[in-house]
Amino acid sequence: MTMKSTHTAYSGTTRELMNRQQQTQNRRPSLMASLLAAGVLIAGMGLSSPVLAQEAEGFITEKLPAPFPAEKIEAGKRVYFTKCVWCHGVNGSGDGPGADRLWPRPRNFNAGTFKIRHTASGELPLIDVDLLQTVTHGLPGSAMPSWEGILNEDQRKDVLAFVTSELVQDRSWQDDEFEELHVLELEKLAKTAVPPSAESIKRGAELVVENKCIECHGVEGRGDGNAFNLKDDWGFSIQPADWHKCWNFRGSRQDAYNVKNIFRTFSTGINGTPMPSFADNTTVEDRWHIANYVNHLCERDSDVDIAGGEVTDEIAAKLLAAKPRGIDPMTDKPKVNFVIPSKFAEGELPTDEHDPRWYDERWKKEGRRLVAMGGQITHKPRNFVSRIDDIWVQSMYNETDVTMMFRWDDRTHSVQEGEVDWDPYEVNLKDYGIVEQEPGGSKFDDDGTHPNSIASKQTSYQVFNDGLAFQMPIKYQELPAPRKPRYFWGDEGFPVDIAKWTADGNLMAYQGQGWDQDLEDRDDFTEKLKLVKAEWKNGRWTVIISRPLKADYETDTYIELGKYIPINFFVWDGHNGDVGRKMVVSAFYYLVLEPPVPAEAKWYAGLAAVGLVIVEGWILTRRSNRRKELGHS
Amino acid sequence: MTWLKLVEGYMPMQMISELAICILFFSICNYLLKKAGIGVPKFWAGILVWCFVNMFYLKYRIYPPIPFSVRAIYGTVSACGIFMWVSGSQEEWLEFKRPIISVLDANNGFTKVLRTALLLLLPIGLGAFAYSSLLPSFDEPIELRTVHPAPPATTKVHGKTYVLQTAQQPYRIDTEGKYDPAYSNAHIVDQSMGRLMKDVNSSEDNPWDPNAKGYIKHVREGGEIFFQNCHFCHGDNLNGRGLWAFAFNPIPANFTDAGTIAQLQETFVFWRVAKGGIGLPGEGFPWASVMPPWEQHLTVDEIWKVIMFEYWHTGYYPRTWD
Repeated sequence: MTMKSTHTAYSGTTRELMNRQQQTQNRRPSLMASLLAAGVLIAGMGLSSPVLAQEAEGFITEKLPAPFPAEKIEAGKRVYFTKCVWCHGVNGSGDGPGADRLWPRPRNFNAGTFKIRHTASGELPLIDVDLLQTVTHGLPGSAMPSWEGILNEDQRKDVLAFVTSELVQDRSWQDDEFEELHVLELEKLAKTAVPPSAESIKRGAELVVENKCIECHGVEGRGDGNAFNLKDDWGFSIQPADWHKCWNFRGSRQDAYNVKNIFRTFSTGINGTPMPSFADNTTVEDRWHIANYVNHLCERDSDVDIAGGEVTDEIAAKLLAAKPRGIDPMTDKPKVNFVIPSKFAEGELPTDEHDPRWYDERWKKEGRRLVAMGGQITHKPRNFVSRIDDIWVQSMYNETDVTMMFRWDDRTHSVQEGEVDWDPYEVNLKDYGIVEQEPGGSKFDDDGTHPNSIASKQTSYQVFNDGLAFQMPIKYQELPAPRKPRYFWGDEGFPVDIAKWTADGNLMAYQGQGWDQDLEDRDDFTEKLKLVKAEWKNGRWTVIISRPLKADYETDTYIELGKYIPINFFVWDGHNGDVGRKMVVSAFYYLVLEPPVPAEAKWYAGLAAVGLVIVEGWILTRRSNRRKELGHS
Repeated sequence: MTWLKLVEGYMPMQMISELAICILFFSICNYLLKKAGIGVPKFWAGILVWCFVNMFYLKYRIYPPIPFSVRAIYGTVSACGIFMWVSGSQEEWLEFKRPIISVLDANNGFTKVLRTALLLLLPIGLGAFAYSSLLPSFDEPIELRTVHPAPPATTKVHGKTYVLQTAQQPYRIDTEGKYDPAYSNAHIVDQSMGRLMKDVNSSEDNPWDPNAKGYIKHVREGGEIFFQNCHFCHGDNLNGRGLWAFAFNPIPANFTDAGTIAQLQETFVFWRVAKGGIGLPGEGFPWASVMPPWEQHLTVDEIWKVIMFEYWHTGYYPRTWD
């Protein structure tokens, strides 16, 4: 490789320099050229070895690993061409057949740039630790799965031997002239970690402002800061992490709430992205404070309002007290419960998210519900990117109405500008140019920038309205269980009641009769729907919609207490080009209006207790009689 | 307690043998303790075993979790078993009863306190349990879905009618281009851990070999389709754990499981893929499945190829009519 000689130092500053230089080139001729430029620049500055990494607190220098034996590499090749080639491509350039429909795009191994590491910023990763953990645990939030239980440990190590020896081409673990490994002593540092406390969390909240983390990650850490202008080393659009979804952290290693993962990423940075290492400008103690804060922002059992990041003692104490959500080991995402309870509310229904009745005792046990969302991949145009992968739902009702509060993280506030050529009720938008991503991959060109890939197109969609809709069957009372109208806007003979809100402020009632049938306006019911609140703030939508319980039985869902009412949800992200059938969708859930506790319950409970007292008396009497008998005989 | 979960695809035999080993271990411990003169009383041993099986093993070790109602049945059965064990002989039964009798008799200060406490707490506990079970509770309803419903006799895809009994996978061919399941079956991945291709340097085994042609080349084409369309739900390893598997219910099929494509005819799979969720009969819950009717996205040839890839990648043979 001609490039080898240009790779010199990889200290934090030079790496950032390279990043910045690449980002300023709007149409990069090639990655190679920019690397070359950076190399020349560095050589000119007379730097030859990493300076910052050596000085950073908590790192030690490790020897470069020995080369792999040829048979291990050969064994790894067999694994690679069975399992990995489909996304990462024959040359490891991240351009396999699956790549063009993936965002984040699969890793291009050629440059030796790896995200999750224990090594200092810009350095190669530890093969037997970092890369092995990535293959073992996968990279959540991307298509990279956990290979544990599929490949045994030897096979996982073999494939790493192949990838690091053959597919990483621009750098080498054996290149002792230019490569050094400064390794974060995570296990040692963890022994003296600052334990999570309200003070530590509060200090962390201050430090993320001082260290400018919020510029990208947003003031509440929902990834909304500089969400749309970030690019990786290859020029593909990327987005900052949402700290409220730790299970989606690439480096979460199937251990989402573990603060060590955050400390590691913060200490070593994410190579190939604008996320730098903070090892050289924060102390170890400060890094633990930040890690504690970020870790406690991850959604737990209670919804703590962090007030735009102005974390007070009270907020810090609430963050500290919240309990982690159960993670489903099958999916490595929070567990889902398909029943959405609606609780009775005295008097008027809540008018905003601050109403104390959303947070009272009754929600302690079950709490708000997480509704998992996946891309709509059933009918054209399919959506291969789920920028929104969950929403939170809570519901209350009174004698006349039911209200639902939806909250979800959306990095971008999208309101359509100008007019579109179709009407809001239209769903077949192919003729208006709303089409799905082409498969691309190995069928197409060898242009290294992959301009037609979904990862390149992320910032170029026409912006439509963010939106949310939910559907319930009309006349569900008459459906023979478990029959439901189809999840996708009902089907013939099984119409659904759809309420759809869009970010331009419209809230409409439609009737759906099939995925390809234009929605039918229900003007009468549209007037009865009430948009209580719709606000996008700090990377999160809060939308509260209320509707009457009782309506026209024949055309609207007629809501009754204690019934399991099938409901499912649709969310559109305007900046993802979501419109019409391009959106994310949920499975069926059940909305249940919980009836009040029956008065008899107390009586029956008392009766059971009294009954047991009588039985106890009988047993004691019998025993004492028997003792007397025994005593006499 | 995720570290406790059984590995994916656990077998009932594994569970039973594990339990048997645990019970054996308990018996040995019990025997050794008795030998050492500090034997555990039957009463406490029985309670310990019952708690281990029901409160720990069945509750935390098994994944996906067993519903409470089923655990209640196991709880009753294991209680009966333990009861038989402790009442094997008159002597053992007396030994088992002894702690209960001594509390009932309350001959000393400790048992007096214990008896009073139990007499008070039991009715209170029962009352509280009765009250909480009378509260309206809304668990997820259990809806049983037929995973492999009966197929139709024929299916019409892209204007052509296929008879499921007689239709043939057009790409399952040998080097001479003849339909030959024996040839293709010889070139699927190994069934061992990893399910890897047999020889990465053979153009007959490696779909990515530049000289690959015929069957194995079609496998690659099928794989390309799979990784452009199917992996989002069915997963990069075809094990049903794709990017969005967590969002959908029914969950995507796991092709590596011996209960899916391995026990189906290739034409059945063709029908399922072409018609998708919406084409299922009622017992398969067509309204809930997000499986696309692939005839809307793929050609007939592409569907056959992707099916062949699924068999190649999982190392299974399609079931045949004989």
